[in-house]
Amino acid sequence: MKPGYCLSAAAAALFLIPAAAPADPVVTDNTVITEDRRIAILQAKLASLQKQVELLEDAKAIERLQQAYGYYVSEGMGSEAAALFSDSPTASIELGQQGVYVGKERIRAFLTHGGEGLKEGEIRESPIMQGVIHVAPDGKTAKGRFRMLVMSGMAGQDGRWTEGPFENEYVKENGVWKFSKVHGYTTVSGSYDEGWHKKPFPVEGPLADLPPDRPPTEKYEAFPSFYLPPYHYLHPVTQKPVAWD
Amino acid sequence: MTITSHVSVTRLTVAVFALCAFAFQTPLHAQGSRPQVSPDLQAKIAAAYEKAQSIARRAERVRDIDQLRNLQAAYGYYVDKALWDDVVDLFTENGTMELGLNGVYVGKKSIRRYLYSLTGGKPGLRPGELNNHIQLSPVITLAPDGQSAKARWRALIQGGMYGKGSGGDWGSGIYENEYVKENGVWKIQSLHFYVKFYAPYEGGWTKAPKETALRYGKSNVRPDRPPSVKYEPYPAHFTPPFHYENPVTSSYVFGASAPAPKGSSAGSPPRTVAELEACVRRLEHEVDRLQSALDVENLNSIYGYYVDKSMQDAISALFAEESTLEILGRGVFLGRDRIYEYMRRLGAPQQGSLFNHMQLQPYITISQDGTTAKMRTRLFVMFGRTGQAAQWGEGIYENTFVRENGVWKYKNLQGFQTFYTNYDQGWARQSAKIFAPFPGYPPDAPQSVAYDPYPALFTPPFHYRNPVSGR
Repeated sequence: MKPGYCLSAAAAALFLIPAAAPADPVVTDNTVITEDRRIAILQAKLASLQKQVELLEDAKAIERLQQAYGYYVSEGMGSEAAALFSDSPTASIELGQQGVYVGKERIRAFLTHGGEGLKEGEIRESPIMQGVIHVAPDGKTAKGRFRMLVMSGMAGQDGRWTEGPFENEYVKENGVWKFSKVHGYTTVSGSYDEGWHKKPFPVEGPLADLPPDRPPTEKYEAFPSFYLPPYHYLHPVTQKPVAWD
Repeated sequence: MTITSHVSVTRLTVAVFALCAFAFQTPLHAQGSRPQVSPDLQAKIAAAYEKAQSIARRAERVRDIDQLRNLQAAYGYYVDKALWDDVVDLFTENGTMELGLNGVYVGKKSIRRYLYSLTGGKPGLRPGELNNHIQLSPVITLAPDGQSAKARWRALIQGGMYGKGSGGDWGSGIYENEYVKENGVWKIQSLHFYVKFYAPYEGGWTKAPKETALRYGKSNVRPDRPPSVKYEPYPAHFTPPFHYENPVTSSYVFGASAPAPKGSSAGSPPRTVAELEACVRRLEHEVDRLQSALDVENLNSIYGYYVDKSMQDAISALFAEESTLEILGRGVFLGRDRIYEYMRRLGAPQQGSLFNHMQLQPYITISQDGTTAKMRTRLFVMFGRTGQAAQWGEGIYENTFVRENGVWKYKNLQGFQTFYTNYDQGWARQSAKIFAPFPGYPPDAPQSVAYDPYPALFTPPFHYRNPVSGR
């Protein structure tokens, strides 16, 4: 093989790799498909590849945004978490059965309710995991399902395990991904010392001193009740909706 | 089913985005009779090539994120089993490691000595030891030149020594790490774990004295440097410093700054349309593999959410017709129809039941030809039956996937049991024997790998080699 005129050392290493892409097609009739036409086809292909890479970049940025939210919440940094939302008047947050807060100022009021930072002796470790991210084909909006597992409590008292999914929505404004909607569900919440099987807690309800702008969008109860927070996506193989009747 | 250890894709795809150089390996049969290209056509080729290079650089940054996630996931899986030599391989020569408040160990030799000391002077867990080191929640920030990166991760720890203590230990804390890309391979430059709590199972984090956290990672091997940051674990308040600014107020854009690499051009531009076509085809293939990594991760997460809710039919529909399922010691089920039967056997969801199946810490490998994929991922289970029982479970999946008519499906799902324990006791006091085949419902083939769960020591086979050393 005569690799030719263009090889760098790094590229030379690549020749160790078995060719993965299909072999070059042989063009035998360049009167039908002219070189200009072939260039045009390549230009269109490159435009579509660029779009696809942009959507992959979007998915990475969204995961990063979502994880940043979890770290702020863990540290009680409510203002930083609120800053992750869009300025759109329709941006919203809804956690558990606490109702919906609409607009950035209300979101900030909700997330900083009880003060900025954690209280003395308080802990609220809130890792976020298991993302399912779908960016809209136009790259302007996205939806994501994530799971949050919370280890919380006050020093010296009984701790608490809480778990549930988010179904969130995102919007790209001037190239920057932001939350347009955060919706966190509670599947289970239970006493650390006794366990959720013996001492489950109900889903948190509305704040008395900071009533929401809208009531909860879905009424449900946590374990021991069963509730399926709706999936934002169809079944990835059958392309049909998945839900219980 | 066997899990074959094939050559690490990560290592061999170094600089794969040096596009056209690779494409030119096609025999240059036309070299002697290369047609003359008009200046006009030459300009179009050059413009398209420039665009291809720009897309390739952006794609490479996407791939960097995938590789960094795999690197840190690999780290966690090695720490689980105290595979210290594999952990050390992930570092640069002068890399540093700092766990809790035990000071900084500098360089591979020092890190190795330190890690060995944590398990009695040699690698590997001691009898009865558990050291699950779950890696969660990455916030990764690539440097503008793509040659270094920083990341924040959370570790959730399940530790303990069987028969000792109060059922095990829970730990939680934050990693703030730095990575560098050396000859195209990502390595750990500095690893810093800020411990928040390390608490006995009984009582948990709210009742643990902070001394238990201070003991985390303690060693009689002297560190090379004192702790880089002074802090107190919980119940004191300390926020480990963020390496990044708020992504919205700082207007974070992924890939916004991907300049052309300095003087590292992989070759001269294509000179014919055929060469440009080969170059674009190569790019298309690599972008497709990146897309597959996202699709497969979504698929596996979706599987976990369906299992949460006992969506049995939806689960079996995620499998290819020719596929296998093997969960714990229940044996191997062959084909989608049998998997469907198996799932149906698990029954519909019920009021009063909890069946959470968290899917964590993916390590994803897309095959070179882009038609198959493998994933190691961690299972973390919360079971519940109201008023009666609750359980924790933890295990490892090694799954394979196949793309059929453009759609990714499960080809083999294999779940290895580390432990299932009653909530009231904890894994270091009670760990279930391996789950046997369902009574009256034999599998199509027996359990493919013989092992006992914790407290026995068993490392589920890895589908990948060490992503840095290839060990």
